[in-house]
Amino acid sequence: MSARSWSALAVGVVFGLTLCWSGMSDPEVIRGALLLEQSYLYLFFASAVLTAAVGQALLRRLRARALLAEEEIVVSRQRPERRHLVGGFVFGLGWGVANVCPGPIATQLGEGIPWALFTLAGVVVGILLFFRGGAAETEPGSDAAPGSPPARPQPPARIREEPSGAG
Amino acid sequence: MNRPQPAGVDSSLGRLYDCRVIHDQLAWYVAGPVLGLCVVACRALFNGRLGVTGGFSELIVKLRGGSARFDWRGWFVIGVALGGTLFLLLAGEPVFHGYGWLTATFDGPWGDAAIAAILTLAGVAIGFGTKTAGGCTSGNGLSGVSLISPAALVATATFFATAIVVAFAIEAVIA
Repeated sequence: MSARSWSALAVGVVFGLTLCWSGMSDPEVIRGALLLEQSYLYLFFASAVLTAAVGQALLRRLRARALLAEEEIVVSRQRPERRHLVGGFVFGLGWGVANVCPGPIATQLGEGIPWALFTLAGVVVGILLFFRGGAAETEPGSDAAPGSPPARPQPPARIREEPSGAG
Repeated sequence: MNRPQPAGVDSSLGRLYDCRVIHDQLAWYVAGPVLGLCVVACRALFNGRLGVTGGFSELIVKLRGGSARFDWRGWFVIGVALGGTLFLLLAGEPVFHGYGWLTATFDGPWGDAAIAAILTLAGVAIGFGTKTAGGCTSGNGLSGVSLISPAALVATATFFATAIVVAFAIEAVIA
């Protein structure tokens, strides 16, 4: 396993532990939030978004390069399309019924909760259904290479040689 | 001066084994920023957008191709699951109170089968919907909204509104 894999694993562990510790992997907590009986989820969500926004703005202000990827940090902002509305709606139906989203499904599996096997099976089928139509990945691993059609030839300049000590 | 209580078998056992590190729900003003820092970490390390569904699809696509050479997204989601295991070890029990409304509504001999079917169908909607929208609660909701990406804002507003309506509709039907 590379440094990239190990660090991704570590970030994932922190993320998953926090999802559990905050109660987000408990469907009853999510249900209470969706029924607007508890404000926790919304405060939690808002503070997470705010922290992420400030941190990423800082990274871009510093013109930082990704530590484990040979690229400058850029972010992609997409224009809304029909699929964002349709996909959001379909996901919302599932979330409203099962009261889990993909993160808690993963943490529930790690906690050994049997019901998560069913939601996981459904998610796998749903993802396969999506790709069956030959759809391109909508969540690329890097924002430097957004899910562009492979028809466009990749410029060889992508492999940049940086003089050591520069920047 | 305190006599050992004869009926205290349970509580003394509890004391003996109560080495739990985690007892209560983490305060939102701690949990939220930690989650936000995970988004920042993925950006700083991989120039990537943190997203659990992206991790699931990476695992599925690679495994289907007979490979386990996952990129960072795949390892991230494996880490999320292991985070659940770590929580279990630290807290002593999972944070899960069952599917209250499902188990209360679908009892009887076929109750569990009905719940399994409903959860599987809901899972299909979650998987297909998130891939179509290009992100789930983390990818669009957290990462995308934090970048003020218009597409992520539309998707997030849509799935939050839909889920809230569905939750209230279920509440109305089963009440």
